[in-house]
Amino acid sequence: MKANKLRFIVFLLMFSLVAVACGGDTAEEAVDSPDTTEAPKETLAAPATTAPQPEVIVVWAEEKVANALNPLVAAYEAAAGVDVEVVVYDFGAIRTDVQTAGPAGEGPDVFLGAHDWVGELAANGVVSPLDLGSVASDIFDVGVTAFSYGGEVYGFPYATEAIAMYYNADLVDSVPTTWEDVKAACDAAGTELCVGAPGGGGGGDAYHNHPFVASAGGYVFASEGGFDASDVGLDNAGALASAEYLDGLVKNGTVASTDYGGSMTAFQEGRSLFWMTGPWARGDASAVNYGVGLIPQFDGNAATPFVGVRGAMVSSFSDKQVLAQSFILDFFATVEVQQAMYESDPRLPATKSLFAIVEAADPVAAVFAASAANGIPMPNIPEMGSVWGPFGDALLIIRDQNYGTNEETGVTVSNASEAMKLAAEQIRNAIAGG
Amino acid sequence: MIYLSMTLSKILKYLFLAVVNSLIVYVVPLALTFESWFFLSLILLIGFLINFVYFTDRFQPMKWILPGMIFMLSFVVFPAVYNTYVSFTNWSTGHILTKTQAIGILEDRVFTADDQKGLEFELYILQDIDLNFYYVANLDSENILFGRAVTDDEIFTSAYATHEPSFFTNDEFSTPDGYYQLSGKEQIANSTILQELSLIIDKNTRAQLYKISVFGASTGRLTSTSQLYSYDEVSDTLFNNSTNTVCPVVIDNFECEGKEIEPGWRVYVGGDNYSKLFSNQRIRGPLGVVSKWTFQFALLSVMFSFAVGLLLSMILNKDGLKFQKIYRAVFILPYAIPAFVSALVWKGLLNPDYGVINSWLGPLYEILDVEPIKWLKTKESARSAILLVNTWLGFPYMFLITTGALQSIPKELIEAAKVDGATGIQSFWRITFPLLMVSISPLLIGSFAFNFNNFTLIFLLSGGGPPIIGSEVSVGWTDILISFTYKLAISGGRGNLFGLASSVTIIIFALVLLISAISFRYTKRLERIYGNI
Repeated sequence: MKANKLRFIVFLLMFSLVAVACGGDTAEEAVDSPDTTEAPKETLAAPATTAPQPEVIVVWAEEKVANALNPLVAAYEAAAGVDVEVVVYDFGAIRTDVQTAGPAGEGPDVFLGAHDWVGELAANGVVSPLDLGSVASDIFDVGVTAFSYGGEVYGFPYATEAIAMYYNADLVDSVPTTWEDVKAACDAAGTELCVGAPGGGGGGDAYHNHPFVASAGGYVFASEGGFDASDVGLDNAGALASAEYLDGLVKNGTVASTDYGGSMTAFQEGRSLFWMTGPWARGDASAVNYGVGLIPQFDGNAATPFVGVRGAMVSSFSDKQVLAQSFILDFFATVEVQQAMYESDPRLPATKSLFAIVEAADPVAAVFAASAANGIPMPNIPEMGSVWGPFGDALLIIRDQNYGTNEETGVTVSNASEAMKLAAEQIRNAIAGG
Repeated sequence: MIYLSMTLSKILKYLFLAVVNSLIVYVVPLALTFESWFFLSLILLIGFLINFVYFTDRFQPMKWILPGMIFMLSFVVFPAVYNTYVSFTNWSTGHILTKTQAIGILEDRVFTADDQKGLEFELYILQDIDLNFYYVANLDSENILFGRAVTDDEIFTSAYATHEPSFFTNDEFSTPDGYYQLSGKEQIANSTILQELSLIIDKNTRAQLYKISVFGASTGRLTSTSQLYSYDEVSDTLFNNSTNTVCPVVIDNFECEGKEIEPGWRVYVGGDNYSKLFSNQRIRGPLGVVSKWTFQFALLSVMFSFAVGLLLSMILNKDGLKFQKIYRAVFILPYAIPAFVSALVWKGLLNPDYGVINSWLGPLYEILDVEPIKWLKTKESARSAILLVNTWLGFPYMFLITTGALQSIPKELIEAAKVDGATGIQSFWRITFPLLMVSISPLLIGSFAFNFNNFTLIFLLSGGGPPIIGSEVSVGWTDILISFTYKLAISGGRGNLFGLASSVTIIIFALVLLISAISFRYTKRLERIYGNI
């Protein structure tokens, strides 16, 4: 008797706990439903505004961007009658967490991330296509290409990043447009090294060396409405000719055999005239009186650095697709917001309207942005993972003139073309065998 | 009042059971929603066991054993079994969903005919007296389309939109009589309903709200009335309504005209992952180099750190040494710093251009007239740096355990040896060391197994580099099996190949198991020989 009563109490307690746990959900449903039915039928005045609870847009952004965005959203909240919840998130964790939190119903509506996530996110079905519409015409092509995957665009690009060429303004006035003139300028200045570029000196670096291979016809993956992993162009005629040209530049001393640290100290100590790297190094470069110019052309073609692009994306697990799209296209993409964000967290502009503003305010940033506009986005497909290693290794062989036979693997690389062919072969193998 | 006779422990017990049961009842619908049958059965089994054991007064011993068993099952057995299961699947980027989830995502897709792509037009949203929504799509002056906005269920029964030029006077939209025009704010308040509605233009085309503008006119896009893919359960194929093609299942994807449709889903692939490891030349080739170095690395790391640790503990074990405790504390210090911090600090110290080590060695290089060592940039320097740092990281542990073990060796034995005329070295090698090994060798084996999988150090210090130039897959001279696995399955190739990575970890597990088994056998023999002294 006693035991039975106790058991009953326990089960009662159990079910009341369950009821409390479920209660949260039912309350929310009750909030959602009256949006359209609240309005009194006899009047046509403003039937929708009586909705009691504003919609909430959850935005995931890294700390700096979130801090830039936070004061701006108040204007949109007031105009649109929504709550915008900007969540500060660790940048790298956004990529993984949208894939786990999204399917579990905990994810964001909008998240800000890097373009090279798009392939993985789209392949896993966690990001929605974003039709940029009239906004697209204001964006540099490189930004749209960066967010294209399988014929669809998946984000609104708001910032770019690419390398350009620093020069020591005490020794030279500008960066020449051809490599021959670069050599001549160095000879005239008489510095120990000419161009310091990361990717030599034992430290392979495909990112910084991309323009040396891809400016005159070479490419990592062919791109048309998305990158095509089956078409590797690191050993086509243009790439081989460029690699041989780089080989010549190394041999005649134009491009020094330096890794990142080496190229930096050389530039800071005035031992090199030029330094090829990105806008993050402006602080380091300021050890000397510096200027920035575009990377010299290759055979009349503008240099094409690898470009990293940041953008705003819509989670496919958001149940407010139209609202998320509206937030990005109607608010986030406007030049006012873009400019305010730039002022709080300066990054290179991805839109033409912001570029015009930045050009006047910060000419050096504008040079980097212009360099990015000439560039090629780092391929956003998952197969890019198999490119960095072989591509960097091949360029390291050329940069360090490391030709010869590897005693462990028995592979012989005797010139720049063979290095590129080997890299292309390794990449194809990796993709086929992956 | 029967309740008063209830003891506190009983109250706690029932409270605990209530919480556990409510948790289970809460989790069950979740498991049902996500169709994770394995998880569901696990939860039900655990729930059943808990209730069965604690509600009855039988199974007294089980009441003590059960919590431990549940923790062991969920934190040791389950991950191991799950890892084994994953190694037999194709789990990887593009194949993380179940087939049902993948079909769900594919069936949600719509498409836009090629000639209508990128078309953006103003969309006005009206509401009539019955609160039905109406759209006005201003495609161009010839197509000002008006009609009721309907849900997907009504697409094929709804009337087509009509051309209503009268809605515009001088290019300005004027709300027709009997309707209320929603402002941007009101559209946003209703956006979750509006996003499900479409204005049907003709049999194939509909207009949908795409962007709500609070500052100007909202815009819409054209899409097809039919979804892009429809799934046919009977033939297990996908039909592409845009190109009118049948897409059959090819292993783990639908394939339309030879092209894989993403996303795919997880399937059981049997031993494919394992056979890939052994039959694929591009993996098998580097696997040899990497395995050899893994053994060297683990063995040398243990040997060096043990040697340094033992030497220090022997020195500090002298009786009557001043500041003995302080010395000991100082030597244990590296053990107190997290390994990942030390690894990153060492990486900075070893930097060949501006690292402290090279600047200290600078005069030496000049005297010997040699090039400065390019730490971590060449095969030899990278491997020695790895061993150097790992010895530094590992010796405090060895110091700690040998100090303890040394103190437990009876002094009489050493004295007896001295009386018998043994030199210090002889008594060390013949008495102290063997006795030490009896108690230390299991710990050495543990240390070996740990270093065998010491991913943190390799990843943070050298990243596996420098690369082995000319190998068929990206791999470096200091890569050990686990970091090679990471490169192969996670950071290289085509996204994340969880299935392949799991199969390598199973092989590593087998290797470590084998080595440990052999070593323990050897240790047992040691114990038989020296244990009775």
